[in-house]
Amino acid sequence: MSFDVPDDLRYLESHEWVRVAGDTAKVGITAFAQDELGDVVFVELPEEGAELTAGEDFGVVESIKAVSDVYAPVSGTVTAVNDRLRDEPELLNEDPFGDGWMLKLEVDDESETDDLLSPDAYRDQIE
Amino acid sequence: MSDSDSHATGSPYAPQTAAETAAMLDAVGADDLESLFDVPESVAFDGEFGIDARSERAARREVAGLLGRNADLTEFLGRGHYDHYVPSVVDDLASRSEFLTSYTQYQPEVAQGFLQALFEFQSMLVELTGLGVANCSMYDDATALGEAATLSQRVRSVSGDRILVPEHLREGKRAVLSNYADGPDLTVESYPMTHGVVDVPALADQIGDDTAMVYAESPTVRGVIEERLGAIGDLAHDHEALFCLGSDPIALSLLERPADVGADVVVGDAASLGTGTAYGFGLGMFVTREEYLRQVPGRLVGASEDAADRRAYTLTLQTREQHIRKERATSNICTNQAWVALRTAMHAAWLGPDGLVDLAEDCVTRARDLAGRLDDIVGVKAPIHGRHHFREFLARTDQPASAIVADLAAEGFAVHAVDDHLVQVCVTETTADATDEFVAAFREVAK
Amino acid sequence: MKYDQARWTDNSDDRYEPLLSEKANETFDIEDSPLPDDLTRDSLSLPDPAEPELARHYTRLSQMNYGVESGPFPLGSCTMKYNPSFTEDVAARADAAIHPDRPDSTVQGTLALCHRLQDYLGRIGGMDAVTLQPPAGAAGEFTGIQIAKAYHEHNDDERSEVVIPDSAHGTNFATAAMAGYEVVELPSGDDGRVDIEALEAAVGDDTAALMLTNPNTLGLFERDIEHVADIVHDAGGLLYYDGANLNALLGRARPGDMGFDVMHYNVHKTFATPHGGGGPGAGPVGVREELSQFLPNPHVRERGGNYEHYEPDHSIGKVHGFYGNWPVLLKTFAYIARLGDDGLRDASAKAVLNANYLAEQIEYEVPFGPFHHEFVASAGEQDAADAAKRMLDYGVHPPTTKWPEIVDEALMTEPTESETRRSLDQLAAAFNAVASDSDAELADAPLRPAAKRIDQATAARNPRLSWQALDDT
Repeated sequence: MSFDVPDDLRYLESHEWVRVAGDTAKVGITAFAQDELGDVVFVELPEEGAELTAGEDFGVVESIKAVSDVYAPVSGTVTAVNDRLRDEPELLNEDPFGDGWMLKLEVDDESETDDLLSPDAYRDQIE
Repeated sequence: MSDSDSHATGSPYAPQTAAETAAMLDAVGADDLESLFDVPESVAFDGEFGIDARSERAARREVAGLLGRNADLTEFLGRGHYDHYVPSVVDDLASRSEFLTSYTQYQPEVAQGFLQALFEFQSMLVELTGLGVANCSMYDDATALGEAATLSQRVRSVSGDRILVPEHLREGKRAVLSNYADGPDLTVESYPMTHGVVDVPALADQIGDDTAMVYAESPTVRGVIEERLGAIGDLAHDHEALFCLGSDPIALSLLERPADVGADVVVGDAASLGTGTAYGFGLGMFVTREEYLRQVPGRLVGASEDAADRRAYTLTLQTREQHIRKERATSNICTNQAWVALRTAMHAAWLGPDGLVDLAEDCVTRARDLAGRLDDIVGVKAPIHGRHHFREFLARTDQPASAIVADLAAEGFAVHAVDDHLVQVCVTETTADATDEFVAAFREVAK
Repeated sequence: MKYDQARWTDNSDDRYEPLLSEKANETFDIEDSPLPDDLTRDSLSLPDPAEPELARHYTRLSQMNYGVESGPFPLGSCTMKYNPSFTEDVAARADAAIHPDRPDSTVQGTLALCHRLQDYLGRIGGMDAVTLQPPAGAAGEFTGIQIAKAYHEHNDDERSEVVIPDSAHGTNFATAAMAGYEVVELPSGDDGRVDIEALEAAVGDDTAALMLTNPNTLGLFERDIEHVADIVHDAGGLLYYDGANLNALLGRARPGDMGFDVMHYNVHKTFATPHGGGGPGAGPVGVREELSQFLPNPHVRERGGNYEHYEPDHSIGKVHGFYGNWPVLLKTFAYIARLGDDGLRDASAKAVLNANYLAEQIEYEVPFGPFHHEFVASAGEQDAADAAKRMLDYGVHPPTTKWPEIVDEALMTEPTESETRRSLDQLAAAFNAVASDSDAELADAPLRPAAKRIDQATAARNPRLSWQALDDT
C-alpha cells in the first residue's frame, strides 16, 4: 500500500508534516500515520499562544487501541488550532493533509525546517 | 467414600483421563508431564507444600468449623460498612454462571448482557448524583477516594498539592488515601469539625490556593448528615480545588443531590446495596463531571451500534487504561468489582425509587428513635451531636466505652468504641427487630 | 462446532433487550420526609420493575453473556479455569458475613481462616509472610512496590526507577508510575526472554525494583532467573514477581526460591475464584522475612492459640479500607484445601500439557517455546482482532489479541487445565477454520453472538455512558 506524501511538505520521522510559508507553519500528521493508528477518536491540542519547541510533544492523538504523542516539527507560538477536530476527530483519517490539519504556528527560526525530512526521505522511511 | 470422586489424586477440575494424558503427551512429543516444565534444576521445587487435599464435603465442614468459632453477635455496627437486607432474587440472578464466570468484556459482541447491566449501574449513579460520568467500579470507598485525589492532579484547572479531609474520618480510609497520595507527593491534612459537622469558618482559614481537593462526607463516619455542603463546595471552588463528596447510594436516594451542592467527584461504597455485610468487602463508586471524562480511572461502558444498526454496549475510552497507556494511565486498576456492581444494580432496581427513599427515610428515623431510647437510660447521652443522623450516631456513656463494648458482647451485641466514653451505634432493618433486647442490654451495661 | 447466542430484540428493532429505564421508570417525589427540605433532594427517577420483570430482565441479560461454564475461554494471561461451585456456597455462609469492626476475640474463626490462608499462600510461593489485603492483582502490585519503597527509605536509600520488560502486563508500568517511580522499559531478547545485557545496562543505583512475570507473557520460563536476581540484588534493588502466570508452576518452582523478594498472587486466576465479569478478585502479597515489617496494616498472627490483628513495625499503611475482598479469599481457601499438594501440582501439569497440545494442533505460526501454561500464536496476514471476532461464531471465546506486541497479530492463548481433550480439539478446529476463512468473512464476523460487530469508534468519539446521555441524542 502506498500513501500520499505531498511534495510541498516537510516531515518528521514520527510522522508529522509541516507546511512552512514565510514565518507561519501548518502542522498535521501524515496519511501513513493515520492509517497506522486506525479510527482516530480523540485529539488533544495545545491552546493558542502556547510556545512549542521543535521535537517536543504538543498533543495527543488517540484511536480505539492506541495513544500517540504528536511532536512539533519546528519551534514557535501557536496561532490557531483546528477546533473542528474536537467534534470531528475522524477528519484526521479522512483528510490528514487538508481538513485534518492540527495547528498553525508563528515560526521562531525558519532554518529549523532544514533539519526535517524531505518528501523523498519520508517516503523511503515508510516503505 | 461417599463424598469423594473418581479423581483419587490430582485436581478434580482437570478432566483428562490417564489415557488421554498419555495420548496428548504423545502428540506433543513429551515423555511425561514433568518434562514439559522448562525449569532449571537449581530453582526447581522438589519439596511439598504440606497441604492435604480434602473432599468437597470435608473442605466445607472445615470452613464451617472454623467460622463456628466466631461469636454469634447481633451487630449494631456501621462506620462505613453496613448491613441491609438483600432479597433472594439478587443472589439467584447474580449467581447465573454466564455472569459469575465471565471475564472483562473485551469481546463485547458476546458480552452484551453484562455490559448492559454495567451501563445500567452507571446510569443509576448518574441519577443519584446528578453528575455525568460514573465508572463501573473501584475496589471500595477508600480506594475510590485515593483515585479522586490523584484525579485532582490531572485536572488542568487545579494546581495545588494539599488534600483536605475531615477530622472525623475512618482511619482506614485515611490510611489508604495516604498511600495513593504518596506517589504524586500530595499532602493529606485534616480540617476541624464542630458539633459533628464541618467547621466551615475553620475550613475557610485552612484552605488555600495550594489546595487540590476538599473532601467531605454526608453522612459522616459518625452518621451525621452534613448541613453546609454547598458552602464547602463554594470554598473549594473559590480556591480552584475539587470538591469531592463521600456518600452511599442509599443516602443519596434522599439527601441533597451532589450536583446541587457543587460536588465535582462523588465517591463512596455501594456494596451495602446488593451485598450487605461481608467483612469489609466493598464496591467503590466513582462519579464525576463530564469535563473530567478523560481523566477518569477504571472502566467505562458506553453505548454504540452494531453492524445490524442496533444499540449495543462496549467498554470505551480504554486509552485511559493501563493496558494501553501503561505508565501514563489514569490508574493501574484492571480487575475491579464488576459483579458486586451487578448485584447493587439489581438490588436498586428491586427497591425502585420509592423503595430506596423509604429505606433511606428509615435510616433517619430508626437512628433517631434508637438514640432517643438510649438517651433515656441513666448514664447515657445519645446522640451527642444535635444533628440529623443516618443509620448511626454516637452515644456518651458514663462507663468506659471499652467496658460497654465487652459487656454488650457478653450479652450478644456488638457496637463500636470510638473514644474513652464514646460508643457508636448503627441500626438498619436487619437489626431493627432486635432493638428492644439491645436497649435492655444497654440499660444493664450502662449502669 | 457452532454457537448461536440468545438474542432478544425489542419490537422497535433498533435495540436488543431494552434498558430497565425503558421498561419501568418511575419518578418518586420526596415529600413529608423526616428531614428538613433543604437537606433532601426533590425527587428520584429510577427503574421500578416488579420482581418477575426484574428476574426476566437479568435472565435475558445473562443469556446474552458468555462465561467459563458456557464454553472454552482461552484468554491468555487471564487463566479462565473452571470455578468450582462449592466455593460459592462456602463464601455465602451467613457466619462469614460479619462486620469488620468486631473485636478480634469475637472473630477467631475468621482470623484463623485468614491465618491458614496466609500460611498456604506462603508455602505455595516460597514466601515468609503474606498479606491478604490487596483486593486485586494491580492492588497487589501497588502494595508490593510501596513495600519496596518503604524498604529503601528505611535504609536511607533513595531510588527512583522501576525496571520492567517490554512484554510485561500494562499494570506493572501503571503501578510503578502510581507509586511515583520512573519506568525503565527493558527490551526483550531475541528468544523472547530478558536480555541480560540490556538488564545490566538498565539496572543501577537508582533501581528500586525489577518487576518480572515468570513464565513471561509468551509462556516462556526465564531460565536465567538466578542471574537476573543477582544483577538486581547486586545493584541493591528488589525483585518483584507478578503472579499472573503462577498457574504454570505450582509445585514445580516457587518465586521465593528463584530469588524474588516480593510477589502478588492472582487468586482469581491461579486459585479459580470467578472473574465475575471483571472482578472481584484478590491480590495477596508475599514477602521475604526481611520485608515483613513493611506489610500493610493490620496483619494477622497467632499468639498462644489465639489469633489477632497487629500493625507491622514499619507498615506501609493500608491499601483497602478494611481487610480486602474477604468472600474471594474464602473461595481461595476452599479451592486450595480441595486440591492440596497433589491437586495443585496436577492443575499446573495439565494446564501446561493443554497449552502445548493446543499449540501443536493449530495451523497458525506459534513462535518461541517451549511453552508453559500459554503460547502466543500469530494470525500472520490476518488481523488478529478480526480473527478473534470470527472465533466467536465457532462457539469458543477467542484468545487475547494483539498483545504482547513482540508477536505480530498476536493470539495469546491459555486453555487452562479445565478443558478436556475434546474441547481442546474443538478449540483447535475453531482456530484452524478461522485461519482459512477469507478476510471478508473475518470482517463480517461475528454473526452468531447476540450483537454483530460493534462500532468502537462511534462509542469513543461520542461517549454515551448512561441512559440519560441516550436521551440527549
